Amino acid sequence: MSKKSDFLFNKESTHFFLPWMCALMVFMTTLILAGGMSIHNSLKLWQKGVAESLTVQIATYDDDGNSRGELVYRDIENALTLLRTTPGVLGAMVLNDDQMQELMVPWLGTDAVISQLPLPKLIDVSVDASRPPMLEQLKADLEQAVPGAILDSHRIWLADLVHFASAILSLIGFIVILLFITVAITVMYTTKSMLSIQEHILDLVHMLGAKDLYITNRYAWHNFKTALSGSFIGFVIAIPIMFGVTMFLKSVSGELLQSSLSATQWGLLILVPFAVAGLTFFTTYKTVLTYLRKFV
Amino acid sequence: MNTKEDISPNIVEFNGVSLRYNKGPEILKDISFVLEPRSFYFMTGESGAGKTSLLSLLYLHLEPTRGRIRLFGQAVDMMSRATKAQFRRQIGVVFQDYRLLNHLNAFDNVALPLRLAGEKEADIKKHVSELLSWVGLEKQMKSYPEELAGGEQQRIAIARAVIHKPTLLLADEPTGNVDDAMAKRLMYLFLELNKLGTTIVVATHNVGLVKNFHFPQLHLSEGHVTQVPASGTSYTDMAAKLLKREEKNVEKI
Ligand SMILES: Nc1ncnc2c1ncn2[C@@H]1O[C@H](COP(=O)(O)OP(=O)(O)O)[C@@H](O)[C@H]1O
Ligand SMILES: [Mg+2]
Repeated sequence: MSKKSDFLFNKESTHFFLPWMCALMVFMTTLILAGGMSIHNSLKLWQKGVAESLTVQIATYDDDGNSRGELVYRDIENALTLLRTTPGVLGAMVLNDDQMQELMVPWLGTDAVISQLPLPKLIDVSVDASRPPMLEQLKADLEQAVPGAILDSHRIWLADLVHFASAILSLIGFIVILLFITVAITVMYTTKSMLSIQEHILDLVHMLGAKDLYITNRYAWHNFKTALSGSFIGFVIAIPIMFGVTMFLKSVSGELLQSSLSATQWGLLILVPFAVAGLTFFTTYKTVLTYLRKFV
Repeated sequence: MNTKEDISPNIVEFNGVSLRYNKGPEILKDISFVLEPRSFYFMTGESGAGKTSLLSLLYLHLEPTRGRIRLFGQAVDMMSRATKAQFRRQIGVVFQDYRLLNHLNAFDNVALPLRLAGEKEADIKKHVSELLSWVGLEKQMKSYPEELAGGEQQRIAIARAVIHKPTLLLADEPTGNVDDAMAKRLMYLFLELNKLGTTIVVATHNVGLVKNFHFPQLHLSEGHVTQVPASGTSYTDMAAKLLKREEKNVEKI
């Protein structure tokens, strides 16, 4: 667009607020989304850890080395009942002696006589990896219902992490939507204030026969360009900060956090400035078109 | 060849038109008149009689509270917004308060209608420079309205109204701020345009101007319009003589 034809816009046309608002919004959205993506990537890893089935041990001998006899079967019944009514548990099954033997082969060899060993009974619990049971709670319940039952606990915190991360991801989605709504509302008010400052220009070009769509498009592109330049500033500032945070997390969390993003995810992040500028275009378009209806 | 009626309907037709601002009294009351193609009218009446209001109806800035206006043969109340915009491009308006854009210099203000019409920059440069020279503003082309005197601003406003050779020119007190010599020069500019086929309405309360140029009047008083002399006698001999030259322009209507 040559400077000569920029008669619609004067010095006040570019609202100082618009590019900075876009910069800030893109900055926040990019960082939040990048955080969400790395949590998302890690989540898969964590879920895999949780998905490997849980086991519950029921002791067959007491602390003094005496067989607990019938008590074992009562404990197993209670544990199964509890497990099968716990949300997130897909199934629970007592391993029989053959299966136990299979498990023991790597350690004891095929000759071992299982029945002569003071092995505990094992309950194999399969778990819904996407919605794992609240293991902390399950552990407590189990200890109350079946004293002496042991839930292997190394996955408990991992399952908690999955819960926490899922909640964080929903929150991030919600925040990103809020940020975009904020962009739309801000652009609407900014545009309205631009229009009322420039009403004399609009009124004149309208009377000279400028069509609504012509004025509307000019405004939409004008704000789009302003928003895009601001957006890129926000994006460019966000990138080194993202790398810094990534380095820091790597150093404190080791392999736990999968912080490197895939090419697709990078592609999505690069779309953020365009999305904000696009939203600005669309909102400006709607606002100007509505505003122009006040002219006969 | 077609007769004039076939190819060019009346430029303007008012049919029982009334206008009031908001809940105020009727400023214009049940007005009916016709402006034929290539006619030249003065619009007279005291200050506050409603001249500016009537012109605003003509350049589609206001809508009548009652009655119907036809412009270039089409009912205004039936037009789409896009059609109205199209028609506005065929109307040149000299606003009483000029309405120049302060962020544009004299040249760019005058170029506005051409740029809206998407003309080539080279043509724009040529035509705008010529016209600004004609109204004696060749040295002020790069000046901004706020740096110019009232009379100079008025000439820019006039130049902007005529630069695209409109079919209908509406001038609201266009000579109110210039001396008599310049007023005459500007009237000749309008006459020149009239010869080329533009229908012209000049609102004025400059009695000398009205006396000097023997054009019919639309006289506004107490909300009513009287045509002096009565409608149908408004063609100038000049216009008839130039009919041949005008055929091109007529076909554009
Ligand atoms: N925007 C407006 N709102 C309310 N009243 C108006 C407005 N414009 C003009 N008027 C009133 O309409 C009447 C005619 O005004 P106007 O058309 O400007 O007359 P003229 O141009 O002949 O001086 C005046 O009484 C004026 O006060
Ligand atoms: Mg007036």
